[in-house]
Amino acid sequence: MSLAMMRVMALELWRDRAALVMTFLLPPLVFLIFSSVFAGTSGDNLQPKLAVADLARTDASRRVAAALLKSPDLRAETAPDAATVRVRVKSGQVDAGLVIRADPAAPGKPFLIVADPSRAVAAPLAQARTQQALAVAAPDAALRRSIDSVAPALGELTPVQSARVEAAAEQLRAKPQAVKDDLFDRQEITGARKGGAVIAYYAGAVMILFALFSAMQGALSLMEERRAGVADRLLAGVAGMGPVVTGKFLFLTAQAIVQAVMIFVVAQGVYGVEALQHFGLWLPTTLAAGVCSAGLALGLVSLCRTRDQAQMLSTFVILVLAAVGGSMAPRFLMPAWLQNLGWFTPHAWVIDAYQAVLWRDAGIAAVYKAWLVLAAIGAAGLIVAQVLSRDPQR
Amino acid sequence: MNPEPILKAEGVVRSYGERRVLKGVDLSLRPGEIYALLGHNGAGKTTLVRAICGRLRPDAGSVLLNGADPARVPAARAGLGLVPQEIALYANLSVRENIETFATLAGVPRAQIPAAVRRAMELTRTLDRAGAPVRTLSGGFQRRANIAAAIVHEPTLLILDEPTVGVDIDAREAVDTVIRDLRGLGVAVLIVTHDLDQAGALADRVGFLRDGAMVLEGDPRALVAEAFGDQMEILVHLAEGLDMAGEIHLAAEGLEPTRRPGVWTRLDSGGYGAAGRLDARLRQLGLAPREIRVRQPSLANLFSLVAERKAA
Repeated sequence: MSLAMMRVMALELWRDRAALVMTFLLPPLVFLIFSSVFAGTSGDNLQPKLAVADLARTDASRRVAAALLKSPDLRAETAPDAATVRVRVKSGQVDAGLVIRADPAAPGKPFLIVADPSRAVAAPLAQARTQQALAVAAPDAALRRSIDSVAPALGELTPVQSARVEAAAEQLRAKPQAVKDDLFDRQEITGARKGGAVIAYYAGAVMILFALFSAMQGALSLMEERRAGVADRLLAGVAGMGPVVTGKFLFLTAQAIVQAVMIFVVAQGVYGVEALQHFGLWLPTTLAAGVCSAGLALGLVSLCRTRDQAQMLSTFVILVLAAVGGSMAPRFLMPAWLQNLGWFTPHAWVIDAYQAVLWRDAGIAAVYKAWLVLAAIGAAGLIVAQVLSRDPQR
Repeated sequence: MNPEPILKAEGVVRSYGERRVLKGVDLSLRPGEIYALLGHNGAGKTTLVRAICGRLRPDAGSVLLNGADPARVPAARAGLGLVPQEIALYANLSVRENIETFATLAGVPRAQIPAAVRRAMELTRTLDRAGAPVRTLSGGFQRRANIAAAIVHEPTLLILDEPTVGVDIDAREAVDTVIRDLRGLGVAVLIVTHDLDQAGALADRVGFLRDGAMVLEGDPRALVAEAFGDQMEILVHLAEGLDMAGEIHLAAEGLEPTRRPGVWTRLDSGGYGAAGRLDARLRQLGLAPREIRVRQPSLANLFSLVAERKAA
């Protein structure tokens, strides 16, 4: 009996070509958009726009400004004065501004960063890039600033020591050397997969977003069946609505799996996300996400008395869960309390499980909890739907 | 000897909060019998049907369907088919696919489904459009497909809720033919309707439900004859847009307006002679009728009478 209802759902979808396209082609398209938009948020592809005004106009300041303008990590442009920098930052033409107020070797704070609070991440990035430019293009100035900063602790330099510093600085100015950062070493956690973490993140995020969205639309057919009298017809029969709900649950789960296949085929084909290589763990993760979305959607719709109620509730739930769970913006950009709240949404569990499987090469131990949580949510929703739909007095 | 009733409801009482919707209703149906359940909106028809379908339990009294309580014994509902007022079908599926689906959901064994579907389509004369999506069918065809989906499991009791609402005369005639054929096959048919003409033409028995009580029940022809004796109904067709003085004159002649604009009615035991005298009188008053017809009183007259009793 449940298979009969699965067949009905499949035929209804197949014969509604617009719905078919939206169900299976929209998710990979949205995934492509999201992944393009957010691919830079990991930092490896972030190029803030920076307006640079060199007011000092010294040899060292010119070298720093030129280095910034040539840097591949920035999209820098020159500005004639500090006021222009502020105007460009305020108007959003650039992400941040840099005003070189004095010679970089001079005491005090020769650099001024002009920041827009709405683009908070741009300011520290501009600062880091400027320090990098100072070290590379004006190491003599950096050396002089270092000596000035330690002098109070070590005492006055002797004339011989001062002469050596000047000579070393002059040598660095004449022939800049690649500056070695002796404090930090760096190791990529999983080889050379550039940008893959964010892509895997958004593949999971878009998958659960659309799985739930489509499941809600599918579950609304319960309301349509009530309105059209199909529920009356079935409730007057032997089987009741039980097989209908089960059939819808199976169909919506299968639909979510097909949507996931479409998204991850694109993710693998375009961005090299290794879904196929992790198929053994990808499949149960996808199944759990599908079960969760199908059960949750049916449960929520069953709680409603009218189609309008269900429509409103589903829109509200989809939006809130997606926002809090990390389907709209990366969770690591959220405040801690919101990240913690995210664990009450299926989205966070789905995203985390996909990232664990596809990015961190994690095993079952890292994802079984997510599978259980997602399956439990789906089962709870299914039980609610079954109980309420069997209620002959509804 | 009369066969055992398929449906037997006795003293059914049901309240929603303080409001008593059914006040001890009795209703029984035997195989091959058509019963029309009549009543105004809010009379309790829907609640009674829900009780018969096992969707609610009476506060008092009992409902037995094929000898068992349908609210407690799901198997009792195996012999029940319900045709909702709406077209309770999947619009994008064909007639055949719909009936196959409902056959499966009604528990028809898989091997028997093709034959059962064909039989249902033959009975409802939907076979020639079997492959057409329901949304592409005419209203009358959809009505018959709606019935087909309810009889595919060969129920012993078929309940039809307003089976001809919103369809034209030809489509209504086609639905009536299907219902008569089902009666011929021994199916007990309960029609819930406001269509008094259909009830009068089809039903072996009618029941008037008013304020949750069955106030009148029996053979429609016998009930009409008993209520009106040798009285005939005189129908007067007048020009529309009468002024108040004209309406007062008509009322003084014992005429009442009907639902049809410009048509007035009166019951009179004087037959055709009375109609002639009324014609002359109206012409004298300057209200020359376009047409005067005399006919036997119908269920509609009885329905009005029952309503008047309530008002009285």
